[in-house]
Amino acid sequence: MIAITNLTKVYNTQTVLNINQLTIAKGESFGLVGNNGAGKTTMFRCILDLIRPDSGAVSNQEENVAKGEKWKLVTGSYLDDGFLIDFLTPEEYFQFVADIYHLSEGDLATFYADFGDFFNKEVLGKKKLIRDLSSGNRQKIGIAAALMPNPEILVLDEPFNSLDPTTQIRLKNLLIKLNTEKGMTLLISSHDINHITDVCSRIVILHQGSIAHDLVVSSDTLNILEDYFSLR
Amino acid sequence: MIKWFLSFQWKTAVRSPMWNKNLVLNLVIGFFLLLFGFYILILGLFMEKILTEVFPESNIYDKFNGLLLYYFLADLMFRFMAQSLPKLTIESFLHLPIRKNQIVHFMVGRTVFDIFNFIPLLVLIPVTFTIVTPQLGSSLAVLWLIASFFLVLANSFLATFLKRLMGSKPLIIAGIGILFVILIVLEKFEIISLSVISSKLFGYMLAHPYMLGFPALWMIICYILHFRFLKMHLYPEEMQKKKSYEIEAGNENRYLKALGLTGSIIIVEWKLYTRNKRTKTILYMTPIFLLYGLMFYPKPEYINQYGFLMFVGVFMTGGMMLNYANYAFGYESGYFDGLLTKNIDFKQYIAVKYYISVLICVICFILTIPYLYFGVKILLINAAMFLYNIGVLSFVLLFFATYNKKKIDLSRGGAFNYQGIGAMNWLAVLPAFLLPVLIFIPFKLSGQPNWGIAFIGILGIIGLFFSRIFIGMITKNFFSRKYIMASSFREP
Repeated sequence: MIAITNLTKVYNTQTVLNINQLTIAKGESFGLVGNNGAGKTTMFRCILDLIRPDSGAVSNQEENVAKGEKWKLVTGSYLDDGFLIDFLTPEEYFQFVADIYHLSEGDLATFYADFGDFFNKEVLGKKKLIRDLSSGNRQKIGIAAALMPNPEILVLDEPFNSLDPTTQIRLKNLLIKLNTEKGMTLLISSHDINHITDVCSRIVILHQGSIAHDLVVSSDTLNILEDYFSLR
Repeated sequence: MIKWFLSFQWKTAVRSPMWNKNLVLNLVIGFFLLLFGFYILILGLFMEKILTEVFPESNIYDKFNGLLLYYFLADLMFRFMAQSLPKLTIESFLHLPIRKNQIVHFMVGRTVFDIFNFIPLLVLIPVTFTIVTPQLGSSLAVLWLIASFFLVLANSFLATFLKRLMGSKPLIIAGIGILFVILIVLEKFEIISLSVISSKLFGYMLAHPYMLGFPALWMIICYILHFRFLKMHLYPEEMQKKKSYEIEAGNENRYLKALGLTGSIIIVEWKLYTRNKRTKTILYMTPIFLLYGLMFYPKPEYINQYGFLMFVGVFMTGGMMLNYANYAFGYESGYFDGLLTKNIDFKQYIAVKYYISVLICVICFILTIPYLYFGVKILLINAAMFLYNIGVLSFVLLFFATYNKKKIDLSRGGAFNYQGIGAMNWLAVLPAFLLPVLIFIPFKLSGQPNWGIAFIGILGIIGLFFSRIFIGMITKNFFSRKYIMASSFREP
């Protein structure tokens, strides 16, 4: 469970994040939408303890993320390129991540088998460094690495960006499967309101750092989102 | 359009993040540039005196002409090595309705404004008055100056052209290189004399003023060569050959892997150093660090200067480690967020960084052992400085590394590259060289220099005993600084 209380972040007198209360239950698939500058990435960075909030706190599994580090064992995340070590090959990077999480050779082999389709023969065995790959393939590597240790919570910032259509559909199905079959908690932001309503059961709209709407996804949600964003 | 190009050029220069962020560093660099320019100017002003001193018997005008060919050849070589290819991100212009010729003219013509073209003027202008005018009269002297400047520009076009050529036709460059070597060898064995050729060549040109058109012609030829080459290769991927690596999978070092997390961090750090341009330059420079002793040890006047010997010792056994530890986190700025979100024990992580620092020092120290040839004293001083490096300096540097606040672009070469270096990095270097001397001075004044050296070594050993505590302190500071580091590393 992730709980946000009285979280604010201010840059040069401009409040970019201001969330009084937000709780994401275990096993929930939580979607975050909002226009540029709404505070989506800032919120995720606070959840991952990458920025220090000006007030308030985020707790993950009852642990304040800024105080403890146990939550990292159960939380997989990929926000942007800054998560990848770009002078390694994908295999070397995966090996590094596996070492950090103390995964065995066998775990790594299973991982490669599981993600073979997802990589679509474009990532593995290419003898190329990550920095020489396209942004779509880098995105795939980041998402896969986040999933490698089988986390209980997965945080992805705009995961569908720059992925090819096939991979977008595969990722969508994978996320739904992880959520329904393994009970993985998902925190996903996206600009694609179709994808996000397909994957998530709850959608929060951020506007200027605050929660504008908190919706339970139903057949009507897509229309609500379209109406909301066409007026902005 | 040219107006736009010029303004873009100006803006890239003025708005470069380094320029804006680091005033002190800019002042320091500016000061040294001025000083350098001043020295060159002095050289130009006194060229006549120098030449009369060195060659009292001969005509200094002939002698100066004799030097010119050497100068232009050396200049060409130097530019080929040092001058960076002007970068105009042509991708942003190619798709717009701008004539290709215009883009290319600008790209070639821009080299005119390179600082390397103006430094020679600091010599050439004084020489025009002191050496050439007495010989040729003032009007021809001005022509001579202009012709020389044309040759300077020709060099600048030619050097950048050759540099571009190296990407696509390395054989031609190799050929030119061999030609240079042959010239040097022929000169060495006095089969030909470049100085006589040069003197005759320039002498003849000046005796027949219409021949002064040749430098102009040569410059135009060089311009056209560069222009045509660029125009034929005006595709981004042909212009900047990106060196991509072919990495064979699966040959990870088994011994390192057995060390667990420690091993995998060492593997990543090693790859960081060997696969990025900036860090690679530093690796190439290490042997030069290690040869530093040769500059001092053979000279008897230094052998009793403890201060010097200590400085050399710290530098040789710790120079490489200094670079590593000083930017311990800055080098990782590209994936710092990734590290923070992963399940890493940061105390162990920082301990590994310390072990790597020690390892680097050990290797450097072992490599300096042959200096034993110059006396046991040298070896003992180096050993003491080595202990100081691993027991004191590396902790200090790693502590200051938590104040790294700039994203370091690893893809640019490392020599004379100040990108990403902050005031803290300079401050952190101070204890490296000042502290041992400060400790040493009281011993020296009381006439016990050897005890001073021993004390510094003992200090290092004491530091080793407290390593756990020091690593704990660094880790604590790391945690309180991590948000600041992460957010500044995220800035482009």
